Amino acid sequence: MKVDLSVKIGPLRLANPVMTASGTFGYAEEFRDVVNLDDLGGIVTKTVTPQPRPGNPPRRIVELPGGMLNSIGLPNVGIENFILEKMPFLQTLNTKVIVNVAGTTEAGFAECVSRLEDVTGIAAYELNFSCPNVKHGTSYSTDPAVAERITRDVRRVTQRAVIAKLTPNVTSISEIGLAVQNGGADAVSAINTVVGMSINIKSRRPKLATITGGYSGPAIKPIALAKVYELAKTLAIPVIAIGGIAASDDALEFMIAGATAVQVGTANFYEPDATIKIKKGLESYCKEHNILKVMHLVGSLKT
Amino acid sequence: MSEKRLCQPEVAGVRECARDIYILQFYDPYLAQNSRSGQFIEIKAPRRRDILWRRPFSIHNVQPEAGIVEILFHAVGRGTEALTHLHKGEKLDVLGPLGSHFQFDENLREALLVAGGLGIAPFRLMQQELSGRGTPMTLFYGVGGEEQLCGLDFYQKTTDLKLSTVDGSRGHHGLVTDLLMDYVRSNSDLSGKRLFACGPTPMLRRVQEIAKEFNMPTQVSVETIMACGFGACVGCAVPMTRPQPGVKEYYLACKDGPVFNMEDIIIEG
Repeated sequence: MKVDLSVKIGPLRLANPVMTASGTFGYAEEFRDVVNLDDLGGIVTKTVTPQPRPGNPPRRIVELPGGMLNSIGLPNVGIENFILEKMPFLQTLNTKVIVNVAGTTEAGFAECVSRLEDVTGIAAYELNFSCPNVKHGTSYSTDPAVAERITRDVRRVTQRAVIAKLTPNVTSISEIGLAVQNGGADAVSAINTVVGMSINIKSRRPKLATITGGYSGPAIKPIALAKVYELAKTLAIPVIAIGGIAASDDALEFMIAGATAVQVGTANFYEPDATIKIKKGLESYCKEHNILKVMHLVGSLKT
Repeated sequence: MSEKRLCQPEVAGVRECARDIYILQFYDPYLAQNSRSGQFIEIKAPRRRDILWRRPFSIHNVQPEAGIVEILFHAVGRGTEALTHLHKGEKLDVLGPLGSHFQFDENLREALLVAGGLGIAPFRLMQQELSGRGTPMTLFYGVGGEEQLCGLDFYQKTTDLKLSTVDGSRGHHGLVTDLLMDYVRSNSDLSGKRLFACGPTPMLRRVQEIAKEFNMPTQVSVETIMACGFGACVGCAVPMTRPQPGVKEYYLACKDGPVFNMEDIIIEG
């Protein structure tokens, strides 16, 4: 039995639902030795900003039971060097490349996207207006009006698919989801990291240099699942699930809850080939359950 | 640089070589033939699904013909404790080789190795590389007390060994950097001598001061917390001595390092 693993996200068609989460997969080249990159449904790059950024001072990461805290601060070479240094390798791949962009101002998002419009090999953009580790980062997606405005500005300059990445650190994620849907987003991805903190009780100092950071990994999966379920019920556009996905069972839960595709994040760090194992696991599950198209799983939750 | 591979090699054996310090041997012909001193591997803690990250270990030694790789580790945490219970034939989950390695320039006439505690780890393989090259070595090896010394017989035979212990139980009573200072002070001709250092931060800081004062080319292997080991998490930032402010201010210990030219990095912690 041949399973159709392909999924559709607005104008974007992925060969399978397994993508990489921004900031956990570099610019793919870091993984070329251990992952057949063409087997992925899509690759989401590390965030690119209009200007280069050095990132936050150390300490940037903390390991915790079931998860990790990070405060990396979006270090990147800036849009111009990204095009020169990172795109050539990405253009050789036979998978969908989604460039994650962030502005340090509202206008910065559309500025990045405009600059990338004549660059080939890009299938979509993901708007990172929810990074908790940069100044103003979160405000872009905690204020629905701002999130809608940024999405609309980006929508005006591109025909490519636009994915808005949402933060869970809000009272109502659906409200933000509806705003970006109004702004013209083709899909949302959720969730970004959960704001968290850890303290060294000997020194009484915060473990992270920036005091708080973003919590990710298996520990946040139930939180992410609830948010994805809520978004899928509320929105007309597809939802891409992110949050503690480390095995195919996790991916299945999210798809049953209503996600059209999934992004694997923290697991890439400790199991670099996690994405490939998840893809294989999805295929086996479909075969075992006589599911011809993986799309049939999406939102199949029985309540 | 050799490409990294994910492997499930078999354990050849684990033995305690000093108090709470172990050598783990495993069969991995690819790693045994393609690793250089200073490089490291990332190991997933066996049977401990609750430990998220892999743990980085310096490659201690390789036996290319037998396909054996050795790491040296201190059983201090949950991850390393799990490694001490491994038996011959059990499978490991290993990623490597990773990172940069020690470089030997053509003017290298004598290598001065400075090891503090577990900082001895990369120098066993380095000894192999340097002896193949016919380069003499002086090893400055400092530990807390003599029960922590590893591979003493081997280094006595193969290097000019200078020992120190903090508690005075063996060798010089004090710090390894005292021995280094005595050495560079009493040697008028330091040309062609290169420093290679690995150990705790205070030791590296002192080595940095000495290297600066005597203008000696120095390579250092640093240890940082890392989630992945190959440049994806970007967590292991090491401040640059000559940053481009607002553009590039940090190296990554896993990718640009762990071996750096001492003058390029700020040693923090």
